[in-house]
Amino acid sequence: MTSKSDVHEASFRDPSGHLFYDGKTLKRRILPIYFKQYEALKENGVFDTLSRKGLLIPHKENQASAKEIILTPEVIPFITNPYEWSFEQYKQAALLTLKIQKYALTKGFILKDASAYNVTMYKGKPIFIDTLSFDFYEQDTPWRAYKQFITHFFGPLVLAKYHGTDIFKMMQTHIDGIPVQLIASLLPGKSKLSSTLYTNIHLLAKMEGKHNDDYKAETKVAKLSLKAQNTILDSLYEYIKKLSLNEATEWGDYYTKTNYDEAAFEAKKTLIKSWVAPLNANRIIDVGGNDGTFARSLDSKAHLIVTDIDAQAVEQNFAQAQQNKETNMLAFVCDVLQPAAGIGFNNTERHSLLHRLKDYAPDVTMALALIHHITLSGNVPFEKSASFFASFSKYLIIEFPKREDSWVNSLLVRKREFINHFDFYNEANFEESFKKYFTLEKKETIAGTSRVLYFFKK
Amino acid sequence: MSLLYFDPGLGAMIVQGIVAAAAAVFLFSKNALYKVKLFFGLIKEDEYDSIDIDENDTSVDDE
Repeated sequence: MTSKSDVHEASFRDPSGHLFYDGKTLKRRILPIYFKQYEALKENGVFDTLSRKGLLIPHKENQASAKEIILTPEVIPFITNPYEWSFEQYKQAALLTLKIQKYALTKGFILKDASAYNVTMYKGKPIFIDTLSFDFYEQDTPWRAYKQFITHFFGPLVLAKYHGTDIFKMMQTHIDGIPVQLIASLLPGKSKLSSTLYTNIHLLAKMEGKHNDDYKAETKVAKLSLKAQNTILDSLYEYIKKLSLNEATEWGDYYTKTNYDEAAFEAKKTLIKSWVAPLNANRIIDVGGNDGTFARSLDSKAHLIVTDIDAQAVEQNFAQAQQNKETNMLAFVCDVLQPAAGIGFNNTERHSLLHRLKDYAPDVTMALALIHHITLSGNVPFEKSASFFASFSKYLIIEFPKREDSWVNSLLVRKREFINHFDFYNEANFEESFKKYFTLEKKETIAGTSRVLYFFKK
Repeated sequence: MSLLYFDPGLGAMIVQGIVAAAAAVFLFSKNALYKVKLFFGLIKEDEYDSIDIDENDTSVDDE
């Protein structure tokens, strides 16, 4: 038996089984309480069909005894959480969940929970990762995970439509989903005119409020025909499919308003590529990588992570990856000045971004056109930035825009009477601070710009 | 239910009957509108897959 400390820290809510580490391999233990369901799912081909379709993470059964069944799921290089997704990523995750629930019903099963954490992004699209989320369907019972679907998926998506994707960050403070009453109160009054929003949110909030104190739940059994349940799933699917955002972008048109010309842009790409190629990296991360333009220009077979503060840039990157069928690109939203914290029980149920980055251990980290924002918008001293990058990077390619750069200039001008406090912002100080954590391998000015590209090694 | 490991919420269970009724009307009107649009040639190609999974189709779902 595995020692308790090896059990994955996010895996304790479901008594059916849990994930654990066998050495470095992540495995899933199924306990006898779930054997009946597991065998039935296997026999009915549910696991086969869903994993063949790329909807459920594939697994191998390693051993089966009277005490436990052990599975090894396919390895996912990096887990992203709902509060790090763009709108389209979130939307596709919701559609995936509905799709699996509807399919499960045709096979005599249900999804017993509809948590957004059952889904993550893998090979350019959302995938269902909780193999034990299925249970038997019982005739004429409503979907018990319905409310969870609303608080984890439908509510956040509808709120994002009205308030922007920053709403998804509320999932960090509400690990069990945004409470229905809160969703209802944040929606505009006109949302009550939509029959879908009225029933799925406002009426649900009212009914939940009314029955909140009803502890004799087991005496009242609500009924719902299978056909009616399918109708709910179809309508939610149709509604979510049509949901869209109307949010202006911070950086969406960044590359059209950069302060250097196309030749310089190409020079930068060529230089980076010539530095990265000999490293034969397996994992590369581009922090603040906008829509993935530079990560893509590497033409690398490595697994690529591109993060950006702007959900719109992540959205474009995700769309491009899907269009080109790139399975090695993972885009997600991240504010370097406030990376996702560890949340949930013990602060370890969903790991902090830094924790996950250290586990991921990228071979190469790129930080292009980022340090001036961290330093001049976030007032982060160079040494602190250096220590941040050193905590997870082996090789670091970082671009330093000099004071003459027009972007730097405009950031400095905004400091007004405090501009002298930022006299430290220069190449010499930057180099000195980063050399405390890294050794300088190469540096080169990007032709036609006031920007210097640095290549550091830890 | 054998594995009630979280509270599904009684209100949420009861409300699904009403949600389903509204959903039926929503789908009916959507369908009617679709037919009208189809008649006038206003249908754009749907970029998302259908909710239904075709088990016999061996292609990978690339939604």
